[in-house]
Amino acid sequence: MDNQELELGSYQLLHPEKKAKNKQRFRQALAGYLFIAPNFLGFFVFALAPIVATIVLSFSDWDLVNPLKWVGWINYKNIFASPASWASLKQTILFTVLNVPIQCFIALGIALILNQKLKGLNLFRTLFLLPWVCMPIAHALVWQWMYNYSFGILNHLITSFGFQGVRWLNNPAVAFFAVMFVNIWSYLGMHIVLLLAALQNVPGELYEAALVDGANAWVRFWKITFPMISPVFFYDIVVNMIGTLQIFDLPFALTNGGPGNVNLYFNLLLYRKAFSYFQMGEACAMGVILFALIAFLTFITFKYIGSRVNYDQV
Amino acid sequence: MKTAGKKKFTKLLTYIGIITFLFFFTFPIIWELSTSFKTNDESFAGYNLIPHHFTIEGYLKALTESSMGTYFSNTVFVVFCIALGSAIACSMAGFAFGQLKFPGKDFLFFLYITTLMIPVSVTIIPSYIIMIKLGWANSYYALIVPFLFGNAFGTFLLRQFYQTLPRELFESATIDGAGYFQTWLHIMAPLTAPAIATFALMTIQSQWNSLLWPLVVTQSPQFKTLALGLSDFRLMRVVNWNAMMAAVMIATAPMIILLFVANKFFLRSIQLSGINR
Repeated sequence: MDNQELELGSYQLLHPEKKAKNKQRFRQALAGYLFIAPNFLGFFVFALAPIVATIVLSFSDWDLVNPLKWVGWINYKNIFASPASWASLKQTILFTVLNVPIQCFIALGIALILNQKLKGLNLFRTLFLLPWVCMPIAHALVWQWMYNYSFGILNHLITSFGFQGVRWLNNPAVAFFAVMFVNIWSYLGMHIVLLLAALQNVPGELYEAALVDGANAWVRFWKITFPMISPVFFYDIVVNMIGTLQIFDLPFALTNGGPGNVNLYFNLLLYRKAFSYFQMGEACAMGVILFALIAFLTFITFKYIGSRVNYDQV
Repeated sequence: MKTAGKKKFTKLLTYIGIITFLFFFTFPIIWELSTSFKTNDESFAGYNLIPHHFTIEGYLKALTESSMGTYFSNTVFVVFCIALGSAIACSMAGFAFGQLKFPGKDFLFFLYITTLMIPVSVTIIPSYIIMIKLGWANSYYALIVPFLFGNAFGTFLLRQFYQTLPRELFESATIDGAGYFQTWLHIMAPLTAPAIATFALMTIQSQWNSLLWPLVVTQSPQFKTLALGLSDFRLMRVVNWNAMMAAVMIATAPMIILLFVANKFFLRSIQLSGINR
């Protein structure tokens, strides 16, 4: 590339048409920058610069009102010394570790059932996507209504069978799973659609060969289907994990982190630190820690699960 | 070998199974629709799916006693601006990255990619401080401007499509004397229209449902969006469940309708991005 440019430079005096070409190259570069400019401006101001600023501010003590003070690693030390952040970290990881496999495997099961020549498949898929297109805050209200202790339909059904009503969102032992259930429900459709598309891409000839060999459905699934869709399934697990570690809307709206702190996930704690207590420095440090956690868990997942994914596609 | 009759029976069972499951799966949405058309008394007393006294009292209450109308028009305005702005900005940048040659292109693109997986919590505090310093907090500017120029994801997505367009098309257009802008607007952009539409739809969905950023930057009811409006409903002391479910319907109906009208694009968006939270 550099060589070419040098050569062009010396040719220019002798060959005017080369000069024209150089001019065109300049025009194209200029156009490139202009085309990128608006997008880059937004990207720089609201993504790139804030990332750097968050890291820098994580070493400060600042409430937006009083002058900013540099405090070194104190924010990080405080976070790791505080039982509240450890508890929140623990709940976040527990929630993710349970939520992600349950969600992805249920979705895979349903996708397998849908993966046959069915009339109305498009309607089924659309209905499965219904909760996914609605805002999580709306689900929170609907489920508060259904989980309502005195008037909710769930307790109505339970008590009509003669059982005791359940304090779905007030009993800490139940509320953790009550929130997770709504979360699994609301994103399930999207995982079904993603995995169904992968299943539909598995070539039919593979099954024909297996049928000739007399392999039963169980063997066919583990020997053919699962390896063939494993890249998509693995991708789904990873992206789901990254998203779930950042969960905010649903626990915020359903119980605002409660009862007690069982649903006080890391992002909720960060939100409180930043916008209720205005401890911007510590909140920034939490953001950095969350990012490090996500990066670390993604790395672990790639190392231990990703290595088993089959990328030899037909 | 299974007989034809047995096969038919299994198929029938599959349909019954799927439809039953879908009934329970969509039940919360059916239940919210049902409650929204009940009177307040019936919402507490009855567990019937079809309201005995069909009424729009809940909707009227949601519109008059809270500012759902204002929240709705705010949301439409904000989402429209962002979807339009980001579709244009990402399409232009995607075109530049996919078709044009300029120094530093690879480095810039690398920067874009590295930020794709950065969590919102890493950027939200400085973004909030920027809004405060600009005096934009609690205004439409704060809701719109940070998203108006698109994001790295949209540029990345659309670049993939611009890249697949034949190079000759671009060259012949520029040789014919069309400027780069004309080439993009009249020749290249129309060819990527389905991808742009898919991206715009993803933007509409995520912005319509977005809670965290509006929660951080707006306080006055006149600037609140639907998600925030619903969030305020939680805090009301006297709960009218029919009005609350009506408010939920008002806030979610546009996305539900969009899902049925444009389900092809939603399916595509899932396959393109995997996950869109």
